[in-house]
Amino acid sequence: MENKTKKKILIVEDEESLRNVLRDKFLEEDFIVFEAGDGEEGLKAALREHPDLILLDIIMPKMDGITMLKKLREDDWGKEAQVILLTNLSDNEKLSEALAQGTYDYLVKSDWKIADVVAKVRERIGD
Amino acid sequence: MKKESIVSKYDKTILKIKALSRERESVRRKLMAAEKKLFLKAKQLTTTAKEEKCAKNKLTKTLEQLRRKAQQFEAYIREKEDVRHKLVATEEQLRSKVENLALATKEKESFSCKLTEVETQLHLKTKNLEQIKAKDEAIISSIGDGLAAIDENANITMVNRAFEKMLGWKEKEVLGKSIYKILPVVDENGKEVPKSKRLVTKVLKEHIDIAAKVNYLRKDKTFFPVSTNLSPIAFKGGFIGVVGVFMDITKEKEIDRAKTEFVSLASHQLRTPLSVVKWYSEMLLSGDAGELSDKQKKYLAEVYKGNQRMITLVNSLLNVSRLELGTIKIDPKPTDIVKLAEEEITEFKIQIDQKKLKFDERHSEGLPLFNIDPKLLRPVLQNLFSNAIKYTPDKGKISLDLRLVKRGKLAGNRKVNEDSILIAVSDTGFGIPKNQQNKIFTKLFRADNAWKKDPEGAGLGLYIVKSILDRSGGLIWFESEENKGTTFYVTLPLTGMKKKEGAKSFS
Repeated sequence: MENKTKKKILIVEDEESLRNVLRDKFLEEDFIVFEAGDGEEGLKAALREHPDLILLDIIMPKMDGITMLKKLREDDWGKEAQVILLTNLSDNEKLSEALAQGTYDYLVKSDWKIADVVAKVRERIGD
Repeated sequence: MKKESIVSKYDKTILKIKALSRERESVRRKLMAAEKKLFLKAKQLTTTAKEEKCAKNKLTKTLEQLRRKAQQFEAYIREKEDVRHKLVATEEQLRSKVENLALATKEKESFSCKLTEVETQLHLKTKNLEQIKAKDEAIISSIGDGLAAIDENANITMVNRAFEKMLGWKEKEVLGKSIYKILPVVDENGKEVPKSKRLVTKVLKEHIDIAAKVNYLRKDKTFFPVSTNLSPIAFKGGFIGVVGVFMDITKEKEIDRAKTEFVSLASHQLRTPLSVVKWYSEMLLSGDAGELSDKQKKYLAEVYKGNQRMITLVNSLLNVSRLELGTIKIDPKPTDIVKLAEEEITEFKIQIDQKKLKFDERHSEGLPLFNIDPKLLRPVLQNLFSNAIKYTPDKGKISLDLRLVKRGKLAGNRKVNEDSILIAVSDTGFGIPKNQQNKIFTKLFRADNAWKKDPEGAGLGLYIVKSILDRSGGLIWFESEENKGTTFYVTLPLTGMKKKEGAKSFS
């Protein structure tokens, strides 16, 4: 085992199979992984665990990604939290709303290889 | 005797003298009387002479007077003659004047008749015009679309019934008032658009036609979307105002929104299972779930490939759908197209190197920034590069040419009809068969030789590229010879892409 601190990542995704494969991959890549199946759970987990990065889906039941993001940004820690939107939406209205909340990145799931998603995450949190 | 005699003689003489003296006295008295008489007579004579003179004078005077009177009389007579003549002349004049008057009266009567005729006609014509006006007003009033006309000072001069109904104002409440006050325009959030940004202001200033979709605020402060057309009103060679026609597009907007939401949702729903297959395949292929046999890897690679095709297809369908709905927005900004092209070609570096293709890039010196929406130009470049690379055999050559072409000059085999930016992508590839060239830009079309070389393409790329260029004011054409190569030419006006409002960006 390496001596460095493992990075914490929170995966907020309502599609179970996608959430599972992402978790498996990130665990393999030596991350600590937290999961949530909807925005409500995601917000709680984020504020509780303070992950190094949040992979956030947009279309979710109970509370969608944009709403969760807005609420997250109201929190002192949440203001600065690193978020990458992971979505299958290429709907610009929603995306510009999200980008307005300061995420800097969104990845269209079906256009990104899972390995590249990991690379992007590493790039963002300076791993 | 001597003394007595002398006395006596003396006495006698004295007596004689006395007698003489008396005689003398009497003579004297007689003389005096005679003198007196003479005197009187002289006096009388003088008087008579005087009288005579007087009388003579008087006579002369009278004669004079008579002469003068005679003269006067003559003058009077002459005057009388004159007057008589004048009277005769005047009488003549009067007579002719009377004749004239008679004529004039006759004329007046005939004019009077004509006037009455004209009056009646005028009356009829006025009634006619009033009817026509009333009919025109009824037409304007009845048209289903709202109508409002303003003068050069932006005050309302006319509105129709549809206007009243749609906005909740009565005609008499708005005539003469400023259009800015009566009909505010608001954005999607209900915030008022300032006067300077309003289209009506632009039309008032520049006298051009504008069509647009905006939101109108009703009297009760609710708002709704409209499609409106504003035009300047020309009258007798001058500009007198603006007329606007608008219709409520709430329904259309809802339908549009429903369509785009459907497309978005559909593509999202389609992509989810595709992502699942993609990532799990990747995990399997990279050995994350254990070592695979060669055959397993091969089969899984096919699964992965098939899935990728579906992903590409869904992406293309989404774009096509957006293009067809016309909801793509065009947001031009000053762009360095050389840099853009270089960025895009870098994305293909791996494939270029893999196929050992030679890439050649040329551009005019000092190309300025152009008003282009990079989000739309990128897919155009990507598609042209991707095709050039796909359909050129190994060790072939691809070139990119970026330059300005002036109006009337040639770009390839075609003359450009306005100053343009030219993007030319050529390859030494398989070319497009002559009998299939006319279908190249149609949806889902793939030429036979392309199909053979690369069965994975969807046939939507060039359709999308052409649609983008059609919507942004650009042109695309090509020259191709089978087994020799193809060159695609794209031109955009030097002024850049036209801005277009829209709901969505290109994906």
